[in-house]
Parts: sequence; structure tokens; C-alpha cells
Amino acid sequence: MIAPVYVLTGFLSAGKTSFLNNLLRRGDWRNIKILVLQFENGETELSPPDDFCQKLQFTIAELELRPEEAARRIRRRLRDGEFDEVWVEWNGVAPFASLHSLLLHPLLRRHCQMRRVVHIADGAELEKLLGRTGQALPGQIASSDFALLRGGDTAGAARLRKLLRSLNPGLRVYAIDSYDDFYRQLLRRTPPAWLVFSAGAILLSLLYLLAAPPLTAAGFPVNKTVTVFLGLILQALPFLLIGVLISGAIEIFVSRAAIESRFPKTNLAGMATAVIAGFCLPVCDCASIPVFHGLVRKGVPLPAAVTFLTAAPVINPIVIFSTYYAFNGDMRVVALRAILGLTAALLIGLTFALAPPRRQILTGGALDRLLCSCGCREDGETADDLAGKIALLFRHAQAEFFHMGKYLALGAFVSAVIQAVAPRASAVSGQGAGLALSLLIMMLMAFVLSLCSSSDAVIARSFASQFPAEALMGFMVFGPMMDIKNALLLSSVFSGRFIARLALTAFAICFGLVFLFN
Amino acid sequence: MRPSGSFNPQIFLETLCSAAFALLLLYLIRSGAYLNYVTPRLKPYLYFAAAIMLIWAIGGALRLRLPRRRPRGAHCLVLAAPLLLFLLPHAPLTSADLSWSYVPGASAAALPSSAVPAPALALDAVSGSADFSAAADSTAAPPGADATDKTIVVADDYFYPWLNELYANMDMYEGWRIYLTGFVFKDPEVFQADEFMTSRLGMSCCVADLVPYGLICRSDGAAALEANSWITIEGVIHATEYDGWPEPQITVTGVAAAQEIPGYIYPFG
Repeated sequence: MIAPVYVLTGFLSAGKTSFLNNLLRRGDWRNIKILVLQFENGETELSPPDDFCQKLQFTIAELELRPEEAARRIRRRLRDGEFDEVWVEWNGVAPFASLHSLLLHPLLRRHCQMRRVVHIADGAELEKLLGRTGQALPGQIASSDFALLRGGDTAGAARLRKLLRSLNPGLRVYAIDSYDDFYRQLLRRTPPAWLVFSAGAILLSLLYLLAAPPLTAAGFPVNKTVTVFLGLILQALPFLLIGVLISGAIEIFVSRAAIESRFPKTNLAGMATAVIAGFCLPVCDCASIPVFHGLVRKGVPLPAAVTFLTAAPVINPIVIFSTYYAFNGDMRVVALRAILGLTAALLIGLTFALAPPRRQILTGGALDRLLCSCGCREDGETADDLAGKIALLFRHAQAEFFHMGKYLALGAFVSAVIQAVAPRASAVSGQGAGLALSLLIMMLMAFVLSLCSSSDAVIARSFASQFPAEALMGFMVFGPMMDIKNALLLSSVFSGRFIARLALTAFAICFGLVFLFN
Repeated sequence: MRPSGSFNPQIFLETLCSAAFALLLLYLIRSGAYLNYVTPRLKPYLYFAAAIMLIWAIGGALRLRLPRRRPRGAHCLVLAAPLLLFLLPHAPLTSADLSWSYVPGASAAALPSSAVPAPALALDAVSGSADFSAAADSTAAPPGADATDKTIVVADDYFYPWLNELYANMDMYEGWRIYLTGFVFKDPEVFQADEFMTSRLGMSCCVADLVPYGLICRSDGAAALEANSWITIEGVIHATEYDGWPEPQITVTGVAAAQEIPGYIYPFG
């Protein structure tokens, strides 16, 4: 028989042993034979109620030095005892991967199998511990299925849930008093990864094959939606890859200390540096967002980082040239776009210098600044040499790509649907409307269409007969800074409050600037 | 101790999807099918994306036995969903799917050759494939012109170079006869009843920005021409103005039905 293994993780004094004692005393567990493996000798004694429960104790040193011996002892006990369940009280400062390796040891593989991992945390202490106690604790949280929060006030509970989910998006978090619901969930089986994946892929294919013909017959342009979606994905994908690789390089190779000592101290010099960096990075908005995330995480001051985010897609050489090309070499348009884009980016940066956000802007909160929560270090590996660091860079970039890619795909899909169902753009006429209204229409259009900043000048030009030049300028200055695709990409790592502030500030400043300079 | 254990389904799925997507990208590039979605300028970027995906796939294959709690699978759909959609049946967009209208005079060749901007070099350096020489050099006309007869027969591959040439030297071609194949583009918001444009679809970045490029034609029979149908026109070139922009136009003398020309034109190379 293969015994299911339930693991308790948590820092020292989190309450793991008390939890286990509590569980073992439950009336409905009377007839279940349990083996408890303890890898920690805490203050609380494990006090099993009767003969149905036995325990084995190890130190982490024993496990690390003689894993074979530990596996042999556990196997012997499992063979002799015919246990229904195994409960593990794991050590709070040891990497989870060591336990995982032990349970996957060839001697144990056919006798027990890990079923669920529960993380127990003291709500009042967790936040402090996470920043200070190294990689083991976040690694344990990332490997857990459930988190049980003990103590802490109600106001802090919401923040803690957010914090825990930033390390492990699928984690189910319970307060320790909702015991029955937790217990039900604990014994429920979850579908394996390959099943979730295959089901998703099959469902998508079936949906497309079955729903496309009737939708097309009803007048919805399915073919156009799919082709535009794939075009947007194919165009954005390489740039997102460039972005996550640069972000990975910042994460692995640049230390916070280096940023703190070398990055310009004043906001103005910082913003000027950001503008130069934006000019030198000839990529579109899909790449600048992961780089922006990397910069913020490493502690680059927000005004400079925001200036980079908003300036890079408007003032880089490709965009300047495509504007020149689309507007038939009209240098006034090219210069005005670059100058207005630059001014808007600096002003937006300045608003963040004058009124810094009062709350954390990263959804991972303070933790995201201290530790990379992408999961790439989950297996406890460290890299000291260059080759190891490069390997870590690629894995970091991969994790960030899969995370941000979801939002990019969603943004591309929404944009494709809007393009497919919207009437031909020439039907949207700005003629007869005042300048403010025309400008508003074109800026909103830039937001919903989510075009790449290297091609939007041609589209802006195609509106020339219906809209005044100022409205086209609004389209070209605001569009690269903020659109549906960018907002969704940002939401993968930044708080909604921050994105809303950034979008509204960018909109107001671009509108005001274009209106003033008409 | 480097942890090792049994088969890791999450890394397997990530490896599988990365490898499959890399192969798909290579197939799209090799077959030229990528041109239905993005411009040739993106080709080196797509090679780059395929290379990164392959590196991930190889890295993943080496870590397949790394233990991982809570293996996830749904995130791999980020690559699998577009991959499936690429494989499921769909057709390239045509003029009937257009979202955007005519771009009057959006042609780099209207500039003198000396005015080709410095940023062109920057773009060239980044994409590695952009070739602006055809647009820049207004002295060398594309093939198809017969100076003695004052006639131009525009071959399908030279549609955009000829568009540039006519914009650049429209006075020189005043009164020349031209044969041009494209689809009939009509937009009541933009054109008069006796006007239409003999057009080809141009892509400047991806399929989301397809715009009709072409020459405005004047004909009393314009109303009888079916929008989006493919035609070859015979006509006479006149240098004139449209909506304030100088541009060459054609007075049509004959129209014949033509075969559809597959593919798009790529103004940015």
C-alpha cells in the first residue's frame, strides 16, 4: 500500500506541532493509523492520544549527511506499521526540495507519496520573517497547497493573503478557525497538471471548430479576429522575450546596492538617465514593461522608472523613423511627436516625484522587492559562477514570460475582437466635432486598438482626412504609453490602483499638452 | 545536493510547448507563411524568438527529473493556444476585411533621395533586413517602363516601387500610359462617385495595420466596378493634388478583370 503523505511547513514557532496535536485529537480520526515524521524539535511536545499514532524524529544534519539511512528507517517503519497516513512536520529553515528528494528516494517511492502540503504561519510574524530568513520560507510557501494563518489582526489578514498569493498564486489561504472547510479541502484530489493542460487545449480546439462556422454565419468575423490575434502575438512575442531577458539580467546581475550607490540621486538626473535609456532601447512597449518591472524591483526611483516606461516606446529611433515615413517626411510631425512624447513622459514622471504612491505598487508588495517570486529559485539551487547565473537568468525570464504572456495574449485577443467588430475606421468621423472631442476620440481609439508603437503612425495618417492633425498627434503620443494591452501586461505585476493612476495621468497630460500646442 | 526525483510534469509541458513553438516559428519563416501575419522586417526577431524557445526547451529537458511540488499546467496554454490557432484552419485577410482607409501620399519616395533620414540606418541595424535603396534612389526607375512609347507595365512584384517612383517624379510621367493590377478600393467617406483606387494591401508592422496602397483612378464607369474585385486597368497618368497632397492619379481608359494576387506589399521592407 502507498501511504499518502501530508506535510506541515512553517517557520519555527509557527504552531506546526500544536496544529498536529489538535488534528490527532479529533474524534473522527480514532481509527486512522498515523506515522508522524518530525524534522524539528520545537518547544511544543507532540502528544499523540493513543497507539494509533507513532512518531520518528530526525535532524536536518542527519538527513543531509545520510539521506539513505533516513530513507531506510522510514521504509522499515512503514513496512512494519501498515499506516493509513504519514504526517511530516518539516523544518522551518530547511529547503523544501530536501524533503521532496527524500520522499522521492528509490527506497520510499513505492511506500509513500506526497499528497498535500500545508503551510502554517503566525499572521503577526510572517511579513517580518519573509524578508529576513532567506529562501527556505518562500520556497516552502511556493510548494504548499494550503496556508493556515494563526493570529494577526483582520486588517492585516487581507494583506497577508495577497503576500502569500504573490509567492504562490494557487494557494488556498484559511484562517485557523475555519477548520472544517479546510479539512474537507485537504482531502480533495486536484487534477494533475497534464490533465488541466490537455483539457484546455482540447476545449479550445473544439470551441474553435464548433463555434466558428455558426458565428461566421451570424456575421461575426471569426477569421479576421483569429488572424489579427495571431499577427499581434507574432509581432509582440519577440519583444516580450527581449523585455523578460533584460528584466532577468537586471534581476540576476544587478544588485540593489549597485542601484542605490550608482543611480543618480536627484529625480531630475534620474529622469534624464531614463530618457537616454529609452532612446537607446529600440523596442516597443511590449519590451519596456518587463524592463520597467525589473527596474522597480531593484529599487530604481519610481519617477525615473515611470519616465523610462512612458518615454521608451515614443522616442526610440524605430518609432521616429516610422513616423517620418508615414507622414511623408514632414519633419514638423516627427519633431512634435518626439518633443511632446518626451515632455509628457517627464511630466508623468514628475507627478510620481511630487506625490509618491502611498501604498506598494507591486502586487507582491515589499516581498517582491526583496526576493524574486517568479519561482525560478524554488528548487533551492543557487548560482555563484557565470554559467549558473546565465542559466538562472533564462529560467527567470521563462517564468516571467509565462506569467506576463497570459496578459499579453488576453490584451491581443481583446484588441483583435475590437478591431474585428468595430466598423471600418473611416466611418468614425471627427468632422464637425470640436478639437477637444476629436482629440478625445482619437486617444480613446489609441487605447482600445493597442497598436504597436512602430506602426501606429501609418494608422494615424489614415485618419488624416477625418480628424485634425492635433487629434492624430494625441493618438501617436498617448497610444504607445498606455493601451489595453499595456494595461493588462502591467496588471500581471502591478497594483490596479497604480495602473489606473498611471493611465489617467498619462491621458490627462497627453491631452493637455497636445491641446496647448495645437 | 542537487535535488533529484521522479518525472516533473510541469517542466515537461513547458519543454514540450517551448520546443513546439520554436518549430512552428521556424516553419512559418521557412514556408514564408509568417508574411500573412507580420512583415519581413520581423524575420530576424522571429529567428531570435525561436532560438530562445529552443534554449528553454533544452534547459527544460535537462531538468526533467527535478522535483516540484504543485506542478502547474495551465500556464503553458500561453504558447499552446496560439500554436493551436496557427494549426487550425483560417485564411489570410483580404481587402474585404479592411479596417483602415486610404493613406493619401504616404510614400517615402516623395522625398528627394538626399533626404533619406539618418534613423533609416538605425532601423536597418536593428532589423538587419530593411532595404530602403529602392525607395531612396529616384533616378533608377523599376523595370517595366518603355520611354519611347511612354508606357509603364507594372509587374506584381514592382507595385510598391512604382508607387514610390510615380510619387517621386510625377511630373516626369505626366501623360504616360500605365497598366496596373490591384483590387478596387472604394470608400464613400473619402472618394467621389467617379473615383476608386487600384490598390494592394500594405502591412507596416502586422496584419492589424493593413492599409490599402495604390493610385486614385478616375472613370465614368467607376460606379459599375464592384468593390474588392481584382482588375487590371489601362490609363493615363496625371500629376495632381488630392486633399492638399500632391499625387499622381490615373484617368482610366480600359478595365479588365484580373486574377487575385496573393500576399501583401511591405512598405517598410
